[in-house]
Amino acid sequence: MVTTREAYFRAMADALPAETLVVTSLGNASYLWAAIRDRPENFYVEDAMGLALPLALGVAVARPDRQVVVVEGDGGLLMHMGGLITVGAAAPSNLTVLLIQNGVHAASGGQALTNAGLDFAALGLAARLKGARNIETADSLRPALAEALEGSGPMLLALATAPDPEVVVPPAGFDPVATKRRFQDAIEAPRYVPILFGGGRLEPRRR
Amino acid sequence: MNAVHRPSEVLETLERIGVTVAVTVPDGWLGEFLVRIERAPWITLVRATHEEEALAISCGARLGGARTALVIQNVGLLSMGAGMVCLAQRYQFPLLILASYRGTPDDPVFYHVPKGRATEPVLRGLGLGYAVADRDRPIGPQVESAATYAEEASCPFVLLLGREDVQW
Repeated sequence: MVTTREAYFRAMADALPAETLVVTSLGNASYLWAAIRDRPENFYVEDAMGLALPLALGVAVARPDRQVVVVEGDGGLLMHMGGLITVGAAAPSNLTVLLIQNGVHAASGGQALTNAGLDFAALGLAARLKGARNIETADSLRPALAEALEGSGPMLLALATAPDPEVVVPPAGFDPVATKRRFQDAIEAPRYVPILFGGGRLEPRRR
Repeated sequence: MNAVHRPSEVLETLERIGVTVAVTVPDGWLGEFLVRIERAPWITLVRATHEEEALAISCGARLGGARTALVIQNVGLLSMGAGMVCLAQRYQFPLLILASYRGTPDDPVFYHVPKGRATEPVLRGLGLGYAVADRDRPIGPQVESAATYAEEASCPFVLLLGREDVQW
């Protein structure tokens, strides 16, 4: 019995501390996570296939005080495999990569993946991540995620699953700019304060 | 004749305006400039493998609250189109993009010419704001204006830099 994406996501919802920042890739990665655990600390990437991982790397670099979890697909990772190499080089200890390994491009209807069945844990280790593991059950995800969130990353957990071509309907339509602002408000990201005729600066938010 | 070392002025401006993360893909003109960034204690340099990936890292760093500079060759502007429209523009990330302008008549490496010829039409096609650095004016204020434009307009802005602006 193959573990479903939903079973992994429910385990993730149980295991993630409230303050964890979560970046999800296009398609059901974002739609299902929004349906299960919509929260301001989520950043949903719609479209931009393969760019959730490098975006999450940027968040992790900017916010070393917060744990960042990114949910990326195997198709997306193959599209921008260099991102994994950069994660290994930048080595942010606060980044965990959850890789949905379903062997297809699910978001575009289930077309076969180029070279499906790769050992992504081996690829992660070759990219010099601190740890990488292939996961097959939701029960084994929970302790692996807890270990990753102790801050010894970057860590990659490749979650074996089956394609789920039926599109999950999220609780509300995604507004990209609203998603961004909600996330930045939640983490109290410095805000740009303009000055008349230029020269504005990013300034910490006043509580 | 301006005696100021323009690459130093670019770097000093980035520090002054509070840029704390630079994301880059190498270019021949940028080599030493990137080494200087890497040595600077006030900024973190992330070396990416591809410009579209670098763009996404910049978006993420800005999302996390850091002011960023994407430092690339202009060829990267040609190869990052999907990420530009689907991520940076769609989510309205204010990004300062400093691009070496290869393939101009000043560039002795003539295989860059096709890139130089395509750069500005592609930027216009993407609807990106951009400016070509004026070599007769100090470069620092031009960098600051580009960064301000990006912030005020909530979008990426490209400053195309000449060899004298970035080659150390």
